[in-house]
Amino acid sequence: MGGNSAEKPALLVNGKRVDGRGVEDLRSVKIVARVLNDAEGSAYIEWGKNKILAGIYGPRECIPRHDQSLYRAVVKCRYNMAPFSGAEEHGRSGPNRRSKELSKVIKEAFENVIISENFPKTEISIFVEVLQSDGGTRCAAVTAAAVALADAGIPMKDLISAVAVCKIDGQIAVDPGKEEDNFGESDMPIAFSPRTGEILLFQMDGNLTRSEVARGLELAKNAVSKIRAVQVEAIKKVYDEPKEDRFLLIG
Amino acid sequence: MADKPERISYAYVENGKTYSTVVGLFSEGKLVPLEGPYEPLPDDLIVGIISEVRFSGYSVDTNSPYVGFLSSREIRERFNMGDAIFARIVKVDEVKNMDIGDAKKLPEGRLVRVSSVKIPRIIGKKNSMVDMIRANTGCEVIAGRNGYVWITGKGDSNLAERAIRMIEAQAHTHGLTDRVAEFLKSHKKA
Repeated sequence: MGGNSAEKPALLVNGKRVDGRGVEDLRSVKIVARVLNDAEGSAYIEWGKNKILAGIYGPRECIPRHDQSLYRAVVKCRYNMAPFSGAEEHGRSGPNRRSKELSKVIKEAFENVIISENFPKTEISIFVEVLQSDGGTRCAAVTAAAVALADAGIPMKDLISAVAVCKIDGQIAVDPGKEEDNFGESDMPIAFSPRTGEILLFQMDGNLTRSEVARGLELAKNAVSKIRAVQVEAIKKVYDEPKEDRFLLIG
Repeated sequence: MADKPERISYAYVENGKTYSTVVGLFSEGKLVPLEGPYEPLPDDLIVGIISEVRFSGYSVDTNSPYVGFLSSREIRERFNMGDAIFARIVKVDEVKNMDIGDAKKLPEGRLVRVSSVKIPRIIGKKNSMVDMIRANTGCEVIAGRNGYVWITGKGDSNLAERAIRMIEAQAHTHGLTDRVAEFLKSHKKA
């Protein structure tokens, strides 16, 4: 939420945002599944200008042994920003406090969705690399990781997605970009299970009234159903257009 | 998947309705997953690789997060680390430790690792698919239920591997047998 107020742009002019969107408009979201040769499951997402790669390993032997559980698979997550991801406003690249925080909340979201009792003593590792960042990376990360987990065939209760809502110039808007994230009055990322409506990740920066939060949740729920369609499309494409190798190629 | 509680593999029941937990094909009340880790069952015939030699037996890599144990008492031969074996899963306990028996050492060859859910398609009805690969490549192909396929013999093992990869990618499609036959015939060395 940093940003120098002297540089603050007008975030909302006549109902139009900095990039021309309306308050209920999402940025463009594109997902491709099965893009990494080595990982069990993988997905690549381009959400607005965000470019994020998710890879899943597991269920595999849980190392170190003392982490393992006799009753279920342990879910691990590493969220990391690449050095060239343009993360200066968010902090330096590489593992830092923010990355550790996001690793934790993303892990906890999936812990509640993955049916881990089937795989005692193992670990399921979620790796998310942010190649380019433009606001809302944790939501894009959750969305991509869910597709990657489905690609790996890991049993889950639902395919989850996430989106953030923000308050800009007094109005609640969905899916903030980098400037809206930095100069807005509030930022609230939320992950949902669309089937049950349950919330799996819920964070907030800034100040919101209860009715603003309710409005935000409503906008987020609507947005998530659109994102879900993109996720399902990505998974279906793996089977509709089967390829023998799993490399992310251009063209 | 259903508006009432049903007992289906890979599905679970919540609030009286049944939901699938994985990407799969659902027809006639059965859900077949399209991906997923190998879940060992007793009597599965698998291809394993000896990963550790101990006094009382061997640890076997079974392409799963769980290690199998082959007791020395179960077999007559001696194995070395890295040997490939064709064996049966005798017992699986609650934490998925596997006991392996009826092990036979496989001759020198190479390992192709595929997703275990695709193995039935690679074997084919009454071994039809795997027999077709054998006939057209001159190799011996041994497919373990765990996703390890062992290719051995003096035939065209590269062609065999490519055919297996093709089946793995297209396992869910129709007309695959014909396409594989076509592929093998057109790439077969004279």
